[in-house]
Amino acid sequence: MKTMSNRPRWLLLLFVFALVVAACAGDTESTTTTGAPDETTTTADSGATTTTEAAVDSAMTLTVDLNPDAVWSDGTPITAADVACTWNANLNTPGAISTTGWDQILSVEPGTSDKQVVVEFATVYAPYKGLIIQILPSHLIADCNDVSTDFLDAIPVSARPWQLTSWSLDQAILEPNPAYWGDDAPVASRIVMVPRTDDGGIAALGAGEVDFIFPQAFAGITDALAADNIQFAPGYGTNYEGLYFMQGEVRNGPFADDVFREAFSKSVDRELILANIYDPIFPGAPLLQCGLWVPTVGPWCENTQFVDSYDPEGAVALLEGEGWTLNGDGFWEKDGEVPEIKWMVNTPNPRREGTQALMIPEFAAAGFNVVADNGDAAAVFQQRLPAGDYDLTMYINTAQPDPSVTSIMSCSQVPSAENQNQGQNNTFWCNEDASALMAESDLTIDETARADLIHQIGQALVDDHVMVPLFQFPNIAAWRTDRIEGDAPSADAANYRAFNHSSNLWTPLSDSGEIIIGAEQWPECINPVTECANSSWMVWTTSFAVLPAIWDTTSDGTFELTNLVAGEPTVTVNE
Amino acid sequence: MARFIGRRVAWAIPVLLIVTFLTFWAVKSATDPVQSFLRINTRATPEMVEEYKVKHGLIGSTPEQYVHWLGNFVTLEWGNSIKGNRPVWPDLKAAMVNSLVLGLTASFVGITIGLGIGILSALRQYSKFDTAATGAAFVGISMPPFVSAVLLQVFFAIMITSWLNLDKPFLPVAGIYPPGQTEFDLWLRMKHMILPVTVVAIQIIAVYSRYMRASLLDVKGSDYMRTARAKGISERKVIMHHALRNAMIPVVTVAAIDFGAIVGGLIITERIFEFRGTGDYLLTALGNGDFPQIMPLMFIIVSSIIIFNLIADLAYAWLDPRIRLG
Repeated sequence: MKTMSNRPRWLLLLFVFALVVAACAGDTESTTTTGAPDETTTTADSGATTTTEAAVDSAMTLTVDLNPDAVWSDGTPITAADVACTWNANLNTPGAISTTGWDQILSVEPGTSDKQVVVEFATVYAPYKGLIIQILPSHLIADCNDVSTDFLDAIPVSARPWQLTSWSLDQAILEPNPAYWGDDAPVASRIVMVPRTDDGGIAALGAGEVDFIFPQAFAGITDALAADNIQFAPGYGTNYEGLYFMQGEVRNGPFADDVFREAFSKSVDRELILANIYDPIFPGAPLLQCGLWVPTVGPWCENTQFVDSYDPEGAVALLEGEGWTLNGDGFWEKDGEVPEIKWMVNTPNPRREGTQALMIPEFAAAGFNVVADNGDAAAVFQQRLPAGDYDLTMYINTAQPDPSVTSIMSCSQVPSAENQNQGQNNTFWCNEDASALMAESDLTIDETARADLIHQIGQALVDDHVMVPLFQFPNIAAWRTDRIEGDAPSADAANYRAFNHSSNLWTPLSDSGEIIIGAEQWPECINPVTECANSSWMVWTTSFAVLPAIWDTTSDGTFELTNLVAGEPTVTVNE
Repeated sequence: MARFIGRRVAWAIPVLLIVTFLTFWAVKSATDPVQSFLRINTRATPEMVEEYKVKHGLIGSTPEQYVHWLGNFVTLEWGNSIKGNRPVWPDLKAAMVNSLVLGLTASFVGITIGLGIGILSALRQYSKFDTAATGAAFVGISMPPFVSAVLLQVFFAIMITSWLNLDKPFLPVAGIYPPGQTEFDLWLRMKHMILPVTVVAIQIIAVYSRYMRASLLDVKGSDYMRTARAKGISERKVIMHHALRNAMIPVVTVAAIDFGAIVGGLIITERIFEFRGTGDYLLTALGNGDFPQIMPLMFIIVSSIIIFNLIADLAYAWLDPRIRLG
């Protein structure tokens, strides 16, 4: 008994000692580090950066006159300093999502006044119109070279019709920007956005809890949305869905083997997917036959390149020729090993999970051991995809109005130690010739010559079996006709900027004068420069809605000048 | 009794340290916090990585790292999340409050109703009420929350709303407040809890009614109950003073352990009802491999379970003197 009674005292002392040691250990941290500024730049007040000697080597100059009336919602004028700050933030912030394009800029300086922006590029940079978006308010940023600790819970000012007055993990509230200078001021008193996942979003719309949703299409969605007071509008937007093969040696998965990947690619029965997955949603819609672009946006899609991609006999011949044999389970085997192909999609996503349910048995019948290996959207798109942690994946991509795919397909963008794993080439495809074409296309402003280069890149995608395009994806906007009036919502079905493009034109019918949007995904953070911006829903619900741009994109994939600008910008290619 | 309590408390402390150490080791192994940090901060300099490692106690051997982390934890230096660089505590606190409010309310409602049904079933064994309650309990136990949740959503939020031609849902589908609500409002908060509480309570009622029925029937047939009746004590007094107290012993134990698990969240219910509790928080953090977010919550969950196990032990001893004498 004595022994028993002593033990607790001893253990209590142990615990107290552990806590004291732990508490003391917790005090040892002392270092703080800030982002290293770019060596070629000098930092002025609020981080706006200029480089004086850079203009000497400038290959292209973009000059933009900002609207004299353009001000942030707190009344501060929008100036060249804001554009310079945006450049520095995207180029130098440690967690910046992409430096592509920004790294081609030599300097951003005020011209004849601080309302004129002069951007000098090191090379001719054809996709410049899509670069300067989400301009940041330099007057609110302590260090433009590292904005990773800014915008944690707020984007405090706006230069759009709406301003973000509240954001949390539960909802975002947009209210009219009182300092907005444009003539398209909001009609509604406010827009409230709340997270409502796929099924929940449709239920919430039916119940009248939300007024508008922007759901992903799936078989049966038309039935799910069938109600007298619900209208929905499909539109051929700019999104396309495809299958992507992870071929990087860093994973050393089955698709790192070129022959195996080609054989698998030839075994994808796209017509079967069309008939079972897409046709029930939009009957009669065709397969997409080009990669990375869509036929309704510009001349970039050579829409015949993947017509003959399905070739099961060719796949068998290819594998047998390389010494693969079918084992007793009917799977292709070589050297006693059956490759396991991990197919990753984000869940919940009824359409993609339905595709898996349809195709995994088909792949098995063709001799491929495919297993579903799914995760939620955040894990899939922000963690596993950039890390190359998959073999096969399926997702929607957006065909940009500018056709450059350098940032997602060039060799230099394959994540590696050399680029500090910042590359966005998530398939890890590296074809030096194709990368050279990408670089050349980025330097080619002539549209006809550029289209030819893009078509050659598209053919390289076919030849190297990088991906298989499936469908130019219809967007769906669905809304309550007893809550929102007018045709404006339908315009959002095919739009780069989703619902916020015309949300200022919606007329609410409720007494409160507000419009409630159910968001299919919800961002965990709202920094427009860091990995937070990897979420479409982040930019749609917050930063696109409030941060200005020089050009916006339209539904048909063209660029249009915003009212941030006074007059047409000038582009000078320097000899 | 004091000695019994002291012994139990003393045992709980090393258990807490050992379990949280094992949790620390498991979470660190599974998520590799440095790699998670690098995946999200792709352009982090070596200095930033070093700072991150120091701040989160990721230097030295695993036991050293644990001690360092524990030091940060007890001094409330919980740091920021990897994803979004958000302070850990405010989001975790909000999630814990939501889960506790949901879990405790559902437990209170569920246990109260469940015990009542169990007692009545035991007292009227094989009656129509007992048969109906038993059948309903099996349905409740068998029905997973993702089924009952969706059924309740469709019925109360869509069908009734449509039948009554209401402008807004009869009962809210999701969230802890209506969209746009930014201030505390008790009525709205309660209204938004009706469906999720019902979903959780259905299972609690079903389970506890079965526990209570079985336990009370067991006690009713014991020798001391016959002795009490033989002494001429009224049946009401026999039940109230002797049977119920003894029948409550196993139920209290289970209840205490269940309470301890509440802080871990109700993952399915929280997901379906967009109720941002700790279950939802933990899933998101695990998806991001967000070590700074995961570990404090894991520590709290483990602590909560150990503490409520301790409470169960103490309650058991209080209800049954033979326990503490042993």
